Amino acid sequence: MLEDILGSIFSPGTFNQMLRSATPVALAALGGAMTEHAGIMNIGMDGMILMGAFFGVLGSFLFQSAGMGILMVLVMGVIVGLFFALFTVQFKSDEFIIGTALNTFALGLTSFLSRSIFGTAGTKGNPALPTIHIPLLDHIPFLGTVFNDNSLFIYLTWLLVFVMWVFVYKTPYGFWLRASGEKPETLRTAGIQPERMKWLASILCGILCGLAGAHLSLGQLQGTFAENMANSRGYIAFACVIFSAANPGKAYLAALMFGFFDAIGLRLQDHISSDLTNIIPYAITVIMMVYVVVRGRQKKRHAHRLKAQASPGS
Amino acid sequence: MKRKGINWSYLASLAISVLLAFAIGAVILAVAGFDPGKAYLAMIDGAFSNARHVGDFLEYAMVLCICGLACVLGSRVGIFNVGGEGQLLLGAIAACQVGVVMNGAPKLLVILCAALAAMAVGGLYALIPGVLKVKVKVNEVITTIMLNTIAASFCQFLAKGPWKNPNKNLVAATGQLDPRYWFTTLIPSSNLSTAILVAAFMAFLTWYIMQKTSVGFEMKLTGQNPRFAFFSGIKTDKLVILCMLISGAMCGLVGMFRVYGVEHLYRSSISNQYYFEGLTVAMIARYDPVTVIFLSFFFAVLKIGAQGMELSAGVPNQIYLIIQTVIIFFMAAENGIFTSIRSASQRKRAKANLERKGGKSHA
Repeated sequence: MLEDILGSIFSPGTFNQMLRSATPVALAALGGAMTEHAGIMNIGMDGMILMGAFFGVLGSFLFQSAGMGILMVLVMGVIVGLFFALFTVQFKSDEFIIGTALNTFALGLTSFLSRSIFGTAGTKGNPALPTIHIPLLDHIPFLGTVFNDNSLFIYLTWLLVFVMWVFVYKTPYGFWLRASGEKPETLRTAGIQPERMKWLASILCGILCGLAGAHLSLGQLQGTFAENMANSRGYIAFACVIFSAANPGKAYLAALMFGFFDAIGLRLQDHISSDLTNIIPYAITVIMMVYVVVRGRQKKRHAHRLKAQASPGS
Repeated sequence: MKRKGINWSYLASLAISVLLAFAIGAVILAVAGFDPGKAYLAMIDGAFSNARHVGDFLEYAMVLCICGLACVLGSRVGIFNVGGEGQLLLGAIAACQVGVVMNGAPKLLVILCAALAAMAVGGLYALIPGVLKVKVKVNEVITTIMLNTIAASFCQFLAKGPWKNPNKNLVAATGQLDPRYWFTTLIPSSNLSTAILVAAFMAFLTWYIMQKTSVGFEMKLTGQNPRFAFFSGIKTDKLVILCMLISGAMCGLVGMFRVYGVEHLYRSSISNQYYFEGLTVAMIARYDPVTVIFLSFFFAVLKIGAQGMELSAGVPNQIYLIIQTVIIFFMAAENGIFTSIRSASQRKRAKANLERKGGKSHA
C-alpha cells in the first residue's frame, strides 16, 4: 500500500504535473517580484491572473485563434498594470485596499462578462496553445516524460525567468527599479523619477500575471474558462515572492516547490479525499511563510553576533 | 494623509463615488447588451417589491454588518483579519454538527452550545494568524487567505465524508437540524430570523466597546502607534490577540446564524465570499463602526436587488460586485485625485506666472 503510494508520488508523471502546476504561479511571482522590488505591496495578483485567464479565452473565442488570445492578454495586462499604478503610485492609495478591491473587481467583471457572453456554464474547447514536442527527448527515459510535450508556456517561463533575472540584476533599469523601492529619494537625486520605475514595474506585473492566467485557461485547461479559476494562486505567488526576496530564479524554485506539493496532492487523490489533498499546498505556504520569517530573524541575530565579535570594544 | 472620521466631506465623496459607480455600471451593462435603466429598475424592484425580499436584504445586511465589524475590530489594532470566510465556515459547520449530535436536548441548551462551539472554533481559527503575526511577525494577509482555502476544503471534506447527510441526495451537506431548533422566521418565507436581534445587540456592543470604553481607546492607540501604546503601558500583544479572537468568534457566530436561521444544514452555499463583501463594506466605511452599520443596509439592498434583477431581467448579478468595487476604488483614491488635480492646477498657475514675468522682463 505504502509502496504503491510512494511509487505513484515519485513517478515522472508527478514531476510533469509539478511543472504544470508551478508555471502559472511562477509567472505571477515574476510579476510580483517586479512590484516588490519597486516597493509596492501587490496582493492584487490574483485578480490580474483571473483577468488574464478570461481575456485569453475571450480573444481565442472571438478570433478563433490562441495567438489572438495571447495578444489580447498582453493588451489587457498593460491596461491592468496602468490601472494598478494609477491608484497605488499616482493617487497614493492604500495598496492593501486597492489590491483587495482589484481581486473582487476582477472576480465580478470576469464572471459578469462570462455569463453575458457564454451563459452560466462558462466556456470550453476554444483554440488552445500548442504543446511542444521535442523529438530528442523521446529516448531519454525519465526526463523525457517530464520535460516533453508540455504547453508552450512552460518553456517560455524558463526563458522569462532568465530574462527577468538579467533585467533586475544586470541592467541599469533593474538597478533603478530596485532603488525605486529601497531608496526612492536617492534615485530622485540621481535624476531618475522613482515613480516612473514603479509604473514600469506595475505594467510588467500586469503582463506577467496576465500570461499566468493565459497559461491556466489556454494552456493547462485547453481553452476553458471557469469562474474564479485563479483560485488563490495570486496569493501563493505573493508568498513565493516573499520567500525568494523577489529574486526571479529563487521565485521559480519556490513556485516549483508549490507545484510539487500540488502534484503530490493530485497523486494522493486515489487514496485520500481530494478535499484533504487540496489543503496541502496552502498549508505548506503558511509553514513556509513562518519559516522564512524565523530564518530571517536568525540570520540577523547571527550578523549582530559577528559584528559584536569583530569589535569587542564597542 | 488620510483624513480620519466621518464628516461632510466623507459623505460628499461617498455620494459622488456611488453615483459614478452606478454610471460606470451602466456603461458596462450597455456594452454587454443590457438596458441599464431597465436593469436598475429591476434592481430596486428586486429589493423592495415584496416583504420576502425586504426580509432577505435585512438578513444579508446583518451578515455584512457583523462581518464588517469583525474586520473593523481587527484593523482597529492594526491587524487585517482577511480570514473571516474560513472562520465563518468552520463556525457554521461546528454549530450545525452540535445541533445534529445533541438532537433531543432542550432548545435553549442546544442553541447555547452551538453558539459557544461556533465562537470557539471561529475564534481559535483566527488565533493562528493572530499569534503568528504578534509572536513571529508573519504577514497576516497571506496566512489568513491561505487559512480560508484550507477551512473551505476541510469543511467540504467533512460535509462529504464523516458528517455527510445520509438522507439528502446532496453531494456535500451535513445532517439537517430538527425544525424545533430553527430560529423563528420574522417575515414568512424570507431569510430573516430572530438572529437579527442578537446581531443588533452585538453590533451595539462592539460600537460601545470601541467608542466609549477605555479598552476601545487602548485599541485605537495600539493600531495608530503601537510603540507609543506599548510604552504607555498597554499590553499591545495581548490586545491584538484578543481582538483577533473576538473577531474570529463574531465570524463564527455569523456562520451559526446562517445555519440556524436560513439553511438549517451545512453546505458550501452557507457563505459565498460573504465575509469579503463585509470587508469591502468596512473599507468603504473607513473602518468606522457606525458607518459600517449604515452601509451594510445599502449594500444588502444592492445585493438582493441584483439577485432579483438576475431573475427578472436576466442580467448577471455580478454587476453588484463591479459597482461595489468601483466605489472602493473611488473612495480609496479620493485624496489622491484631489491632490493630483490641485498640484496640476498649481503647476499651470506657476507656469502662467512665470510666463507673465518672463514677458515683462523682456519688454
